[in-house]
Amino acid sequence: MAIQGIDFANLSLKDALDLAILVEDEAQERYEEFATQMDQHRTPDAAKFFRYMVENEAKHGRELLARRIQRFGDAPRSVTRAMIFDIEAPDYDAARAFMSPRKAMKAALASEVKAYDFFVAALPALKDTEVRALFEELRDEELEHQKLVNVELAKLPPDSGLSDEDFVDEPAAQ
Amino acid sequence: MSATGTCEFQPKDYKSDLKPIWCPGCGDFSVVQGIYRALAAVGRPPHEIAFVSGIGCSSRIPGYTTAYGFNSVHGRALPIAQGIKLANPDLLVLAAGGDGDGFSIGGGHIAHLIRRNMDITYIVMDNQIYGLTKGQLSPTSQKGRITCTSRYGSMEEPVNPLLYVLAYGAGFVAQASPTDLAGMAATIEEAIRYPGFAFVNVQSPCVTYGEEAQQIKGLKAISESLTAMGHNPADRLAAMDLAQQYGEKMHLGVFYRNPEPPPTYGDLVKERQTMLSKDALPKERILDLFIKK
Repeated sequence: MAIQGIDFANLSLKDALDLAILVEDEAQERYEEFATQMDQHRTPDAAKFFRYMVENEAKHGRELLARRIQRFGDAPRSVTRAMIFDIEAPDYDAARAFMSPRKAMKAALASEVKAYDFFVAALPALKDTEVRALFEELRDEELEHQKLVNVELAKLPPDSGLSDEDFVDEPAAQ
Repeated sequence: MSATGTCEFQPKDYKSDLKPIWCPGCGDFSVVQGIYRALAAVGRPPHEIAFVSGIGCSSRIPGYTTAYGFNSVHGRALPIAQGIKLANPDLLVLAAGGDGDGFSIGGGHIAHLIRRNMDITYIVMDNQIYGLTKGQLSPTSQKGRITCTSRYGSMEEPVNPLLYVLAYGAGFVAQASPTDLAGMAATIEEAIRYPGFAFVNVQSPCVTYGEEAQQIKGLKAISESLTAMGHNPADRLAAMDLAQQYGEKMHLGVFYRNPEPPPTYGDLVKERQTMLSKDALPKERILDLFIKK
């Protein structure tokens, strides 16, 4: 995860809300990409789970956007997507062809943990009390998201112990 | 549109409608994101950009970018990019491909673009394997590497792409990796902004045929930021010294940036045209040169 050009000490509530929306947008897009990748590689169960995550991220993004509009209307945004990288979005490296739903869920869980760590790491630098309250709220929501994924994980049958690699052909000698 | 009236581009403006068909987990997914971000930072509109590639997994990248694109033939990205730049010097020209495309099949072209100092940014996605054709030895595969074409281990020393381009005198040489996305975007942006031939070696893991040590976790373990090391990018000999560690260490950032970039080939062509234009015959009298009087 990386942050470029964000001065947390002077972050305004408007910018903090916009940043949070962008974080959700990035995660939503990444899950969409993962779902498409899984479709292309005939891995429908993982694709289905990633689409479930798309809906979750989109829902959270809409809620944040509603708050932003209620508080600041259509005031111009001064933070951009170029400032953030992989805050809540799962790492590209987390996807694999033929990944099991369990692996997909674990990838999502890891990204929720990553987002939680981001908000925790940012907290000491924040000076504005409203921004701090928002970040604390977002941090706690990431814990809720982790619970949500854990609930889905618990619904799965026990792990077969087989690796994804067991279903992939070895390179053939030529 | 910004308050000052200039257009501002976002990374998504460079993302095409085509869905990448790389293997899930492929390092190239991050590289293309780095390129979108670098292009947005540079701010040239898509219609002012030409993106040329050879053949291979990574050479699909122009198709995933909104710009003029040419997925050309194996190893020939650079001569085609050069032709485009000469025909239309105002275009921002990028070339991309894999290590096989650039350092084996197309290896002979790099030296000539460097000595001409063509104003082109060349991004090599170095995964040390021919992935698209299912895992054969590539020019950067480590000695001893077992693949389907080296069942008992490679007997060849790998090409060192960084040392290769530094030795030929490239004015900008850098390395990036998906282990540091922000750093990769910044490095590619710097390469694009460099006035002359700029080379970025991106260590981009192949999840299907790559070895464990070359995956993100393995690369992170051997990565080191050149800036954090205090490396002076104006020092070419220090850059060559560090480049020798290719394969053992993964130094990220700018190895070498010529502090006084020489004129580009395009500049020299323009200069020559200006010089000759004084005595140039009008088009309708060109044939007079060949008529004996």
